[in-house]
Amino acid sequence: MNDKLKKAFDQVQAEETLKNHTKAFLYQKTNGYAQKKPATYRHLVSAFACIAIILFCGHWLYFTPTVEISIDINPSMELGVNRFNRIISVEGYNDDGKAFVDSLDIKFMNYSDAVNQIIESEDIASLLSNDEIMTIAVVGADQSQSAEVLSHIQSSTDGKSNTFCYYAPSEDVEKAHDVGLSYGKYRAFLEMQELDPNVTVADIQNMTMRQIRDFIDKCTKDGEHDATHSGNGKNEGNKGNGSPQGEKKRRGKPTDESQGKSRG
Amino acid sequence: MRSEQEVNRAVERYSDMVRRLCMIHLKNYADTEDIFQTVFLKYVLSSISFENEDHEKAWFIRVTINACKDLLKSFFRSRVTSLDEVLEQPAQMQEDYREVLEAVLSLPEKYREVVYLYYYEDYTAPEISQILGKKVNTIYTLLTRSKQMLREKLGGDEDE
Repeated sequence: MNDKLKKAFDQVQAEETLKNHTKAFLYQKTNGYAQKKPATYRHLVSAFACIAIILFCGHWLYFTPTVEISIDINPSMELGVNRFNRIISVEGYNDDGKAFVDSLDIKFMNYSDAVNQIIESEDIASLLSNDEIMTIAVVGADQSQSAEVLSHIQSSTDGKSNTFCYYAPSEDVEKAHDVGLSYGKYRAFLEMQELDPNVTVADIQNMTMRQIRDFIDKCTKDGEHDATHSGNGKNEGNKGNGSPQGEKKRRGKPTDESQGKSRG
Repeated sequence: MRSEQEVNRAVERYSDMVRRLCMIHLKNYADTEDIFQTVFLKYVLSSISFENEDHEKAWFIRVTINACKDLLKSFFRSRVTSLDEVLEQPAQMQEDYREVLEAVLSLPEKYREVVYLYYYEDYTAPEISQILGKKVNTIYTLLTRSKQMLREKLGGDEDE
């Protein structure tokens, strides 16, 4: 009976059409056996999108300068500081500045270390000992961070001669880069232009801060003969050169006068 | 999901077995096609990894029997068709075999699957009990009774 049953069951076989129908059905049901691929692909796409967004936001957060520190003697340079107080850009605004910037390696350093490194450097020290003037302008839209940066720089330049620190709101000097000047120099340029409308950007481009200051002093002195003292009051509101610390450190007496006059 | 080659291999290897199980349980060809689709689609989509071929084969048996029973349970399928329709294919086969199959199909359902698994697939009673989820003694009883019934129907000339 075993044998008979086996042979009888052997006669029953799946027809080729049945097999083919089944295969075709499975092929169609699984979209050509590709169901899983789009799924993983979709996952990858969303994962990559998330990573891209994170990277983009991170890049934006990190690489957007919130405060610019403009250092001018004659080398004229600007340090971009991000919201994490790191230097993210270093740019020279004239030939001396570019050469000096090339010799520095301060990118991604904390700004106070970077500023210290710059003002301690031999080049700067020798320039300052030649009676040049160094101005450090802190420019930023974010008041609190700017104030913090400024007070930091002020404390680190404390006791240095011919060094002035001040804060400038970014909207005052936004045109500086359009004309190819650093923020600090642009402010000095505005000051000069007020005294002498004939001054052009090209004139100031390669002047040292000392020369600019002397020029301003000269104009002011000239003006003194023509007009009486009248500008001192207005100068109070000025956030610029008139910072108490700057004045305290300044040796050259005429400049104090000039500030008073320049706004007059 | 399994690959196309894997599925085609399974279709080639197990479709005869599935076909026979369908014949044991079902009454018409359309249902058989349904079962084929259900069983193999389940295979395509299942992530179960089989330890060996026996495991895979047992899985197919279990899934096919369940699918057949589910189909029979549904109200719309509970139609009665004649035995001739079931033996659509065996009609062309030799009279001897046709007679044997008719005898098997005339048994109550619970005997049919045991007969098939025992005589054709060469499973032992404990193995069958595992596949069908029944007690071993139940399988022995079913086997003994089905043997008796088949002997009666087929003349009882030969024994094991």
